[in-house]
Amino acid sequence: MEYIYRLPFLALEVPNLKLKRPSWFVKPSAMVVFSFILLSYFLVTGGIIYDVIVEPPSVGSTTDEHGHTRPVAFMPYRVNGQYIMEGLASSFLFTLGGIGFIVLDQTHSPSTPKLNRILLICVGFISVIVSFITCWIFMRMKLP
Amino acid sequence: MLPNKTSVINTRKDMFPDKKSTSKQMKTSTLTNAAGLNSLITFTVLLLAWISGFASRLFAVIRFESIIHEFDPWFNYRATAYMVQHGFYNFLNWFDERAWYPLGRIVGGTVYPGLMITSGSIHYILHSLNIPVHIRDICVFLAPIFSGLTAISTYLLTKEIWSAGAGLFAACFIAIVPGYISRSVAGSYDNEGIAIFALQITYYLWVKSVKTGSIFWASMTALSYFYMVSAWGGYVFIINLIPLHVFALLIMNRFSNRLFTSYTTFYILGLLLSMQIPFVGFQPIRTSEHMAAGGVFGLLIFVATLRHLRTVLTKSEMKYFGGVVAVIAAILLLILICLTYAGIVAPWSGRFYSLWDTGYAKIHIPIIASVSEHQPTTWFSFFFDLHILVTTFPVGLWYCIKRINDERVFVILYAISAVYFAGVMVRLMLTLTPVVCMLAGIAFSDLLELFFKEEDSERDRSNNGSEEESEEERERSPGVNLRNGVVIGAFVLMMMFTLHCTWITSNAYSSPSIVLASYSNDGGRAILDDFREAYYWLAQNTPIDARIMSWWDYGYQIAGMANRTTLVDNNTWNNSHIALVGKAMSSNESAAYEIMTSLDVDYVLVIFGGMIGYSGDDVNKFLWMVRIAEGEHPQDIRESDYFTERGEFRVDSEGSPTLLNSLMYKLSYYRFGELTYLEEAYTTEHWLVRIYRVKKPNEFNRPSIPISKRIVARNANSYVSKKTPRRKKGYIKGRPTIIKGQKPQRKPT
Repeated sequence: MEYIYRLPFLALEVPNLKLKRPSWFVKPSAMVVFSFILLSYFLVTGGIIYDVIVEPPSVGSTTDEHGHTRPVAFMPYRVNGQYIMEGLASSFLFTLGGIGFIVLDQTHSPSTPKLNRILLICVGFISVIVSFITCWIFMRMKLP
Repeated sequence: MLPNKTSVINTRKDMFPDKKSTSKQMKTSTLTNAAGLNSLITFTVLLLAWISGFASRLFAVIRFESIIHEFDPWFNYRATAYMVQHGFYNFLNWFDERAWYPLGRIVGGTVYPGLMITSGSIHYILHSLNIPVHIRDICVFLAPIFSGLTAISTYLLTKEIWSAGAGLFAACFIAIVPGYISRSVAGSYDNEGIAIFALQITYYLWVKSVKTGSIFWASMTALSYFYMVSAWGGYVFIINLIPLHVFALLIMNRFSNRLFTSYTTFYILGLLLSMQIPFVGFQPIRTSEHMAAGGVFGLLIFVATLRHLRTVLTKSEMKYFGGVVAVIAAILLLILICLTYAGIVAPWSGRFYSLWDTGYAKIHIPIIASVSEHQPTTWFSFFFDLHILVTTFPVGLWYCIKRINDERVFVILYAISAVYFAGVMVRLMLTLTPVVCMLAGIAFSDLLELFFKEEDSERDRSNNGSEEESEEERERSPGVNLRNGVVIGAFVLMMMFTLHCTWITSNAYSSPSIVLASYSNDGGRAILDDFREAYYWLAQNTPIDARIMSWWDYGYQIAGMANRTTLVDNNTWNNSHIALVGKAMSSNESAAYEIMTSLDVDYVLVIFGGMIGYSGDDVNKFLWMVRIAEGEHPQDIRESDYFTERGEFRVDSEGSPTLLNSLMYKLSYYRFGELTYLEEAYTTEHWLVRIYRVKKPNEFNRPSIPISKRIVARNANSYVSKKTPRRKKGYIKGRPTIIKGQKPQRKPT
């Protein structure tokens, strides 16, 4: 068996290599994983796959009665169509709402001072409400 | 709007006990029979979730009638009716000559029979109890009933992963979430209706078996996986997700004997069981979709062996052993690649391939890209189908990642893969919905638990506390108010969610799409029943073996309602046949006639929405017919011919001549143009369905000319009479001359 292993090295010279595990290659922490997932969630809910396949313009445009072109952010009355910016804006709001909930959870830790705690609750709650209401308005705009 | 109200009330009701349950769990823990109260609350909430889920799916039945919806359910219904009538084995052997004329279709071998068996056995049980229910009603109400079972299995799964409170939340969410209702309203008798239940229960059993490591639970997982395989093609999701879970656990160095027992048991039993379904057959060992499961199986055994050997062998022996294993693994991989190359192991099928390479279907398989539910998802669908849950999804994920264990790895993987697939196809929103409900349940339950608990602890402290505490209490009081505000806000959000769900269910997902309803400004309702009118006309007025050509969307409906032979239908297994029909529809009349005679077509059915402004008609789908036909017959059909010179697709008089001469255009707009080879047979009340008869060759070869234009070519003067003045006696041509006085001679024989 040993001979078979030796066989290639009769012709080859073993290079003097020193392989080391790269220092950045460590098991990622939970929050790093989560932020990656959140980013991909942001992209997917923004319809990035739709954007890649259908290739819509980033912002639409329309012509008003005077003949001027005006930009339109939302593809109106089309349920299964979107512009790129519109999708990103709404998925930003989804993510904002999610972060609001997480902030609400963070208020629990006992080390935070009282004022900070109240502020955090306010921030979290407001971001949840704002994202929810804005999404709802967006939806009404698109509904026929 | 009675159903609307009841369901809203129901859903609200089942939101509230849940809050109570989480808060009361702590309060009543000191009481004597806390366990009894807990199970009572659980039971009540699940029952209410079931009832409200069932009730909110009944809009279509109440507004219209107990009718099967859409397209695929008609085939499922027809197959179920056949099975109930002729028995299971005849159903498995059923060769349907009414579909895909002239090819026919072996139904038993090309269908997932779980749905039919489920409703067939319900029918059997009810009839053996002497409860005479028509099979149609069972089919209509099967999906709403299974939604309750889905809620229960979601509760069980979430309970395994997180807590009972989160499970109750998740059950309530999934009972009414629009993303699931869209596929399970009463009348939408489709595989997905029961498959989501099978999916959730399989995952529950899998998590349970990983937790306990018992062979019993692993076998139960395999059994429910078998049910899932028999019910829906989406079983591939399970057979890839569970190995992925195992693989992730191996990478995270979380190998355990529990994992080894459960996965090996599940894989072997599941493999054998899944191969019992005729439609699946040998795919689990032959196609690439299933290879990952086998690979992980091998890997798991390898890791287990390695771990065992490490306890037995010395270090140097291990090194030697490692070399041997590496060589063997390389050889195995090479063999697999060779098998794939040689075609013994089939590569990824197009439908699955399009999930990875998202542009693939658009370029190569127009028939997959043409289906509207295979379109990529926009942000709107996410919000429309999940509403508030779409924001709580990352929160639940965050909780799971923060406090990770073996089961939560599973739910995280489930969530990530489902989000990606839902982004690729609108249809797969369905697989995302359960996991979103679970994670949202976790998020809401944890959040509320936090806020309620803090309040409680403060109250306790203020009760036993001293003056120091009361000072602190004063300082804190705005915080308490704020927290109450947050809790109330969360309640309001959930109420908005129930309102949204009911509103969407009522407006968007409860249309049978066979019967159309239009609403006038004063609230009056007009029913357009043209589809059934046309199908009944076909059933009444055509010969029993008449062949009907239509675009494939309507194949199942024609077979189900008119009971006539169709050329193509929604089981799009034969692309070239569909392309032939598409070619007939998109070529000019004489070329189409050749195709139609070669296919023995008697009638052509087109959907025309131009009269009443129905957008889903055949002219709207026409470009897909052209594209599919172009894929198979590129020399005859070119998509660019159907656009005007400015690159527009327009159907008025300025459209491209190829379009205006195409059969589909002419049939749709007949009486705006002329037809030679076909004649109008029937047009429904609102012109929605138009049926044409294909003329036999002898009918148009002798074209009829209007009487006014008929010219008889004959010259009255050129007639020469043989009656000359000299020989006035007329004569008969060929008259035998008789010579008198002689007998006619006979030839001696």
